[in-house]
Amino acid sequence: MIRKLLFVTKFEELGYDAVKSLLSLREVSLEHVVFMYVIERDKVAFRRGVGYQKSEELRLKESANIRFIDWAERLFEIGMEVGVYIQIGNMAAEVTKAVAREEADLVVIGRSQKSLLEQFYSGSTVTELVRRLSVPVLVYKPVPDNPFAFGKPFQRPLLATDWSPASRRAVDYLIAIKPLIEEVRVVNVVDEERINGDSVMQAQLARKDAKARLEEICSRLQAAGIPARSHVYVGRPAEGVEKAARECQSTMVVLGSSSKNRWVERWIGSVPREIAENSAFPTLLIAPERD
Amino acid sequence: MGKRVLVVDDDPDVRVFNTTVLEENGYSPEEAVNGEEALQAIRAAPPDLVMLDVLMPRQSGIRLYRTLKTDPALKAVKIILLSGIARASFLKSQQALTEFGGQPVPEPEYYLEKPVDAEVLAAAVKKAIG
Repeated sequence: MIRKLLFVTKFEELGYDAVKSLLSLREVSLEHVVFMYVIERDKVAFRRGVGYQKSEELRLKESANIRFIDWAERLFEIGMEVGVYIQIGNMAAEVTKAVAREEADLVVIGRSQKSLLEQFYSGSTVTELVRRLSVPVLVYKPVPDNPFAFGKPFQRPLLATDWSPASRRAVDYLIAIKPLIEEVRVVNVVDEERINGDSVMQAQLARKDAKARLEEICSRLQAAGIPARSHVYVGRPAEGVEKAARECQSTMVVLGSSSKNRWVERWIGSVPREIAENSAFPTLLIAPERD
Repeated sequence: MGKRVLVVDDDPDVRVFNTTVLEENGYSPEEAVNGEEALQAIRAAPPDLVMLDVLMPRQSGIRLYRTLKTDPALKAVKIILLSGIARASFLKSQQALTEFGGQPVPEPEYYLEKPVDAEVLAAAVKKAIG
């Protein structure tokens, strides 16, 4: 159940329309929204000749506060509980602290605005969050021609599985939010390299194996009362998932996140991160179970 | 020692302002940073007055107000709401919570929208608890 949601915004990427579209979560017990704005330290840091930028800090804090008061009034008026954090510091660290303090069940965050070079040196906020948190992280963004899926982002999720433990957790998660779901499409993207052999048989075997495993997942979802269909795609995983989401007219991509450490991810990349950062669809990342 | 006033606000600047005004007017201020912490303090030793913000982490002033006003042991505690949230929104939220099956609660006697002058604040406290 999702009782409390932490909504992290820099305002330019996620506004009140995004908050409103998430209110369908009230059907699965959402009763408390906590807004969060993190002022990155370098925006107000000490600079030679300027000193500590106290007035800039105040300006940023008060601008955020004014926006949040407006949003909070609207949510209070419909009986929701609302809280606010405006913090200075590192985004991932501050969000992690707020999740612990508030015992939030879901983190919603906009797409990272960092350039590829910045991400390489300082890491992606999304990657950092998923590494630190055990609660799911929704990287939220308006789908082109379908902004915030008309208020029902959880209606038609595409579950992209790589058979990992986190992918299995993602199935459990979808079952827990069943009232919001109309249909789940389950997809596995078979790596091209597995098919680039001399034998047609090998390709067919890879497809058959994936299809059988996908059907097991569909059966679990169907047993819980959620209509589900399976699809096998071939190619690079991130591209395959994107293509599947478009063709299935999905409202969101759901996937288990890897537990690779920061340096491994930085050098060889991560499929969940690539999808979360680059996909046109909102992406729900389910972390692996923590010990 | 003056009458005890519990100042509940997550903003340290606001707490400093409010407690200073209270001390200058002969009251004994205490502090809490959110609704949960405030409720613990109130249950431990009910103050003469609670000066309550609305939008706070952990538990808002809306829920704390409702808890206090529906608890027979605590409903006599005087409350001044002091918030950036409009009074109309506060009232609508209480109405919505009552419609969802909660107990009806009385409208707040004192609701001040931030920012508030020191004189106005002191006058409201004096009117509430003398």
